Amino acid sequence: MAVDKKVKEVNKVEERTDFNKKATDNVLISFDEDIEVTGQEVETLSKKEVKQMPVIMSIDNLYKEYSKGKNVLKDISFDIKKGELLSIIGPSGAGKSTLLRSINRMIEPTSGTITFNDKDITNVKGKALRQMRTNIGMIFQHYNLVDRLSVFENVLHGTLGYKNSLQGIFSMYTESEKEEALDIITELGIEDHIYKRCDELSGGQKQRVGIARALIQKPKIILCDEPIASLDPSSSRVIMEHLRKICNEKGITVIVNLHQVDVAKNYSDRIVGLNTGEVVFNGHPSEINKEVIQNIYGTDFDDLIME
Amino acid sequence: MSSTVEYKSNGTIKVSKPNRGQTVLRWLLIGSFIFTIVGFFLMDYTGLDLTRAIPMTIDNLGQMFLSPSLNNTTWTNALWQVGVTLSLGFLATILGAVVSLFLAFGTAVNLSKPWLSNTIKGFITIVRAVPTVLWVLIFAIAAGLGAVAAVIGMMFHSIAYLVKAYSEAFEEVDEGKIEALRASGASYGHILFQVIVPQTKSYLISWTFLRFEINFGVAVAMGAAAGAGGIGYELFMASGFYYDMQEVGAITLIILVVAIILELLANRLKVSA
Repeated sequence: MAVDKKVKEVNKVEERTDFNKKATDNVLISFDEDIEVTGQEVETLSKKEVKQMPVIMSIDNLYKEYSKGKNVLKDISFDIKKGELLSIIGPSGAGKSTLLRSINRMIEPTSGTITFNDKDITNVKGKALRQMRTNIGMIFQHYNLVDRLSVFENVLHGTLGYKNSLQGIFSMYTESEKEEALDIITELGIEDHIYKRCDELSGGQKQRVGIARALIQKPKIILCDEPIASLDPSSSRVIMEHLRKICNEKGITVIVNLHQVDVAKNYSDRIVGLNTGEVVFNGHPSEINKEVIQNIYGTDFDDLIME
Repeated sequence: MSSTVEYKSNGTIKVSKPNRGQTVLRWLLIGSFIFTIVGFFLMDYTGLDLTRAIPMTIDNLGQMFLSPSLNNTTWTNALWQVGVTLSLGFLATILGAVVSLFLAFGTAVNLSKPWLSNTIKGFITIVRAVPTVLWVLIFAIAAGLGAVAAVIGMMFHSIAYLVKAYSEAFEEVDEGKIEALRASGASYGHILFQVIVPQTKSYLISWTFLRFEINFGVAVAMGAAAGAGGIGYELFMASGFYYDMQEVGAITLIILVVAIILELLANRLKVSA
């Protein structure tokens, strides 16, 4: 066992010297809880590359007030590029979750416009709203799976947006949907657990089911609300690298709410910093420095606990 | 010493002050105690000879439970009648459960609008306040005394009971699970049958089965009171008509055995659900 591991490590080192990109691929391919993931090199985009990407969604002058005069979001404006991994960081209560849920209209913004694929989605209702949501996947801090159903069933829940009521109520999934679900499950490395009830899984596995459920929607954007806040460091890494992989390989835009600044720096193509409902930073991870952190969190960089 | 401390009338320090609820409860207990004592003195005891009455009661109980036998009916008939009673209870429960499921979707505050939830809650509270027997008698006006009135009446009361039980189970479902499906574009119906029902299935089954046990008991009484037939009617005939203690005992024991079997079945179901 120990020898095996050593051989693996040696192989990895060799490949890494060989070609940077290849090494990353190798690291990203085989994920299992037992295998130590050593993916230090994450393939992120440069500032210039991000700039050249087409815009998939733009948010303009977005406001949200829960009670009168108390704005949770103040004049938020920024563009989201197609195929980028965008992190939103900021202290608790800065409005990160509200911003994320405004994007798929789980929370109604008070004013402002959101344009998705050149269509104004700020006021869509009923069927159009449901259809818009099928294009936006979402994963959550607490996974939000139906514990008493199997992994397979939970993943298939992602297809409900495309179904009419009767098909959905009686779980009428087509064979092609089932095969697709299986492919995604295999890709995420949880194929051994497909018939297990979700409450039998570990946190990291549950989150992968969550990702699979979002992926089967064939989304253009995946929203992640603190995806790693309840996970241990090694599962967190697995999840973040899966998100990175989805972004790189499938060209899906991923928007992640994060608490950990270093994780955001490591994995994202762009970072948006929020403080008390305002965008105080919007730029490339390399531009994050002490002053920026001071601006976002209102404390010194050294006072933050870095994981 | 602090001025916030209060003293009892004998000068010792109070360690607690009873609140309104505790005061009310204390007076209720004192009141019911007094009524119980007074009640005994106000009863009519003429013709009661305790030295004769107590041994006779014991003798009757002995006849009922120690030497039970079916004198005016056969075993086949008795078991058939138990089946009839079980069917009455089953029918009332299953019909009630289906209606309740949909009403409970409207009652659970996390799935419904406040006005709808409050309307249904108000309605079922009234229904639940009236005993099952009265509902059966009310429906007997339209349907005539018999099985139909009994089933409708029992179903009515079952609905009131199950809607409350179901909707409270639904309200326990984590809001995040509903949010997750809503965010994926699922419709209201999908959420009900893909999240709410699977997540609460074991509660739904155990509440429904508990109601079935209650309905079996009620169906026994309805057999006699509403002429719905079944083992209850046999029991009524044995006690009121033939005055046959041994048969009363036998029928009671049969009902007891059925009730125990139901209870065991319920436990088995709850574990496997």
